[in-house]
Amino acid sequence: MLFELNYKSAKPVYLQVVDQVRAAVASGAARAGDMLPSIRPLAEELRVNRNTIAKAYTELESQGVIQTLAGKGCFITGQASPLRKDARLKLVTEDIDDAVIAAHHLQVDKAEFVRLAADRFEAFAKRRARALQD
Amino acid sequence: MSTQTPAIEVTDLVRRYGRTDAVNGLSLRVQPGRCYGFFGRNGAGKTTTIKCLLDLLRPTSGSVKVFGLDPARHEVEVKTRLSYVPDQVGFYPWMTVRDTLEYAASFRSHWNRDTERGLLDQFRLPLGHKTNHLSKGQRTQLALIAAICPEPDLLVLDEPTSGLDPIVRREFIQTVIGAYQDGAPGTRTVFVSTHLISEFEGLIDDFTIIDNGTEVLTLDADTARARYQKIYVRLPSVPHGLAIEGARLLHQRGRELQFVVNGNADDVRTRLAVHSPETIETESLTLEEIFVATLTPAGAAA
Repeated sequence: MLFELNYKSAKPVYLQVVDQVRAAVASGAARAGDMLPSIRPLAEELRVNRNTIAKAYTELESQGVIQTLAGKGCFITGQASPLRKDARLKLVTEDIDDAVIAAHHLQVDKAEFVRLAADRFEAFAKRRARALQD
Repeated sequence: MSTQTPAIEVTDLVRRYGRTDAVNGLSLRVQPGRCYGFFGRNGAGKTTTIKCLLDLLRPTSGSVKVFGLDPARHEVEVKTRLSYVPDQVGFYPWMTVRDTLEYAASFRSHWNRDTERGLLDQFRLPLGHKTNHLSKGQRTQLALIAAICPEPDLLVLDEPTSGLDPIVRREFIQTVIGAYQDGAPGTRTVFVSTHLISEFEGLIDDFTIIDNGTEVLTLDADTARARYQKIYVRLPSVPHGLAIEGARLLHQRGRELQFVVNGNADDVRTRLAVHSPETIETESLTLEEIFVATLTPAGAAA
């Protein structure tokens, strides 16, 4: 799994790391049981503060995306989110709202939006399936 | 904010050379465990401030505290807990690399031999060479080893990588992250003054931009990048004397304009929408761009 940081993004650096791990899991680039690099070598490689990577890993752990095994490292859990369904739906709704607002200002109507969302679901499913074959 | 004793606390610092105010009312505070960038143009007062921290200069007025102590009155307590890497590293020219490290270690109550061995291997420094036969890059590496092996709570770096080649600069920064910071995460503090802001970008938690001896801007890096944004628009036609409230025009070429905003990107985008832009793009400023935007007078860059 490769990381790329963008300092021209308004997104905090630790969140960029969090989102890239989440994206890697969603697209099949990282699978349950895969080990993440340890904090020090990743921090050195990306030339970021080690605290930034530590904060990203803590966040991923609290979301249940990764798990730290003492003395072994951090692993992708592949587990279902521990949150209740209504909480999970609420979190996704917040992000959809942002997308709906963007769609409104870019004159993308509901039908197009829904079709696009379905396409993207398919795209990620295909990438995961392809990753499994490799 | 944390209630821990700050690693560095500078309050209304003034330092005068004759009639020149090198530092003129500077205040800043560095929390333990953070990496703090200290950015300014040549002659802005960075080195003078650092020399006051190290008790190499006495403040004309105001106060400087390191670990809550006055470095002039508690010289030993302060100096045992910090290391300093200056821009120009001076060693005794007749000493070998080995002698230099032994000499440095003799002043320290603690010296991590494993770290020393690891870094000597990594940098491939010739132990038997006299220091006056080392390249500038090797001298800086030697100074960094001498600074890190005592495992200080505070590492003060004054333009540490200027004049070094890109590979040595990268290694330097990786060593600060790895060998230094990782040893005791959360407590090891870095205070770095540099012009090579983009190289240190990922390392910086907080920063202060200083100009003419006073603070111009202090922020944490993530907040700064979220707040300072560049908006690029192409308008069908540019009204004569166009001014957008809350935005500074950075560049204009024909119908293409670039604005800088500080925390009000949404408002400015709404105001620009009135002019029916053909395209509108927003990106954050890097710390180096924030530095330039902050210290360039309005209109000068247009």
